[in-house]
Amino acid sequence: MFSVSPEIYLVLSQASRWIFILFALILLSLAWSWHHSDRKERRDRFKNLPGAGTVGELVVLSGSDELPADTWFPVPREGVLGSLRSCDLVIPCPGVSSHHLDFSWQDGTGLLIRPRVGCEVLIDGVPVTRRGMDMPLVHGSVLQIGSAVLRLQLFAALSHTNRTFIPPQPVPGSFSDPMPQPVPVPFSYAPEPVNTQPVYCPPPAPAPYPQQAPVPYPEPYYQESSVPRVPAEQPVSAQSEPEAEPRPASAPRRRRQPEQWKEDWSE
Amino acid sequence: MTKQKSSARFRFTGFMLFLALFLFLVPATQVGDYRLYMLAAGVPCVMFLCCTVLARAFSMDRLVLALSLLFCALGIASLALTDPAAAMAQAFGCGIGIIVLIIGAVFVRSLSGSLLTAIVSAFLGLLLLGGKLIAPTFTLPVTQPALALLLVAFAVLLSREGPVSAAAVGILSAVLLLLRGEPADCLIWGITVLLLLFAVDGRPLVFLPALAAFVLLFWGMYSRSVPDAVLPEAVSADFLKTVGVLGIDTLPEGMAFPETSSLLPRLFCHYGPVFTGLAFLTYLPLILRGTTVASCARTRIHAILAMGACLLLGLYAIAAVLSFFGFLPFTVSEMPMLTTSPASLGAHLFLAGLLCGISGRNDSDLAEDAHLAMLAK
Repeated sequence: MFSVSPEIYLVLSQASRWIFILFALILLSLAWSWHHSDRKERRDRFKNLPGAGTVGELVVLSGSDELPADTWFPVPREGVLGSLRSCDLVIPCPGVSSHHLDFSWQDGTGLLIRPRVGCEVLIDGVPVTRRGMDMPLVHGSVLQIGSAVLRLQLFAALSHTNRTFIPPQPVPGSFSDPMPQPVPVPFSYAPEPVNTQPVYCPPPAPAPYPQQAPVPYPEPYYQESSVPRVPAEQPVSAQSEPEAEPRPASAPRRRRQPEQWKEDWSE
Repeated sequence: MTKQKSSARFRFTGFMLFLALFLFLVPATQVGDYRLYMLAAGVPCVMFLCCTVLARAFSMDRLVLALSLLFCALGIASLALTDPAAAMAQAFGCGIGIIVLIIGAVFVRSLSGSLLTAIVSAFLGLLLLGGKLIAPTFTLPVTQPALALLLVAFAVLLSREGPVSAAAVGILSAVLLLLRGEPADCLIWGITVLLLLFAVDGRPLVFLPALAAFVLLFWGMYSRSVPDAVLPEAVSADFLKTVGVLGIDTLPEGMAFPETSSLLPRLFCHYGPVFTGLAFLTYLPLILRGTTVASCARTRIHAILAMGACLLLGLYAIAAVLSFFGFLPFTVSEMPMLTTSPASLGAHLFLAGLLCGISGRNDSDLAEDAHLAMLAK
């Protein structure tokens, strides 16, 4: 193979070592520059996405002097809630221990709550005291820790991907009817804040139904109705809701879709 | 029409490829060894392919990948001047290490953090560490792979079960390392575990007893099991004078390197203290990038894993340099990615792969957030 004379190699070797040092210096500075530019780019992206990495917010309904009502916290996908500053969600209220509970977001389920040993938590009035017993917080759920009462508001986009969708329960007597599929909702909904209207739950129909009476499909519902209803003139809702079906006399009158639309957007 | 300015990434990749080319081309012209010419052609090509095709295919962090490849190239180059056959073997080991890096990146992206993962990785890690104690003929250098596995187990346990079980795994590993007679690895592992414990659960009630237990354990076991340890000699003035600023082609006569697999002494001899110092400083962007990846991670397990990988790589780099100059009372045999041991090289590249994978996952999470934000508008 090709080789050079020792004299030439000596010069070449010494010169190349200086060049290597120069290259190493350049590489070091370029690595710094690369890292810096990536950080800047990421920071710019985070500026455009203020809610990145969070699933919603916890709004304080009642707290303490240090934590007045209407304070809100962005909720990350997982973390620790407690009274210590190092926690992801800091709740400085009486009755809240330093590390009170762990929480983690699970797609399709909600925000899972795992209280630490000896810590008491109420979710919608139901006590959760045992570690490992997962009770998900969904949109509008009320979390009570010590003297603090917090309400979870999930981001609209998470609701619209049906992650918090709860399938409707089959109505007694309508065993012949198939389960309705969730209506695909077009992506046109309100900006922040998300709608916080109370849950629309169809009340249980009086049993037993007359066998001949036509039973309407139970409407699939979302927690806290964070999903803005689709206007009636849109083809999706028109296909999914046949208006010709009579409903039982005891059932409450279902709101028309335009009314729901106006009501949902009134806030 | 304005001329577009090239980005730092393109310039870094270009300079890195040129450096890798000249590192092998210059020694190849001395004797005309075909293996060095093969390395001069092959190493830049593989680096280029990895930085372009593999990084895109597996959504890996390009800076971490490029720096890892640069360290691999430096390791091969430090052998190429005096031992082309060993350089070829090292290049082959680096090729396998790149596959391990990809495995690490894919593994961490699909890591669920289940208890089964913790149990399996802890069992394998402890088995590797305890293998030498069970069978004294088992002398493979498996400390680094074991520590990588134990780091995964520790991160899963710390993020899932809390600090007690994670600290138990950490202390058990430290005991095994001390029983194997590896106090440097034990010290580095202990510092890593303690810092991670402090970062995740900063309660003094947890951290201070763990710190006290580790200090007592290390002091007691070190003074008992390594009473007559041979302290590494400091680098002499004659040695520095022989090497000079730019290094020499041949290893100094009469100079006996300690029985380590680290390539740092060879790099120091062949390319001089200035180039070696700059190479050591290149670990800093790698560590900084790792900490950025850890701080951007969405899940706790990924954050702990990224921070643990950064700590292990950074502490090993610092300890290797301090040990080389005789500032530590024990020999650190491994310099991250600058080692002849294939197992250690694979473990270090696995840790780099973890960083690459977590960074890729962060990017995909951010892209999903952008998609959701776009839907919400």
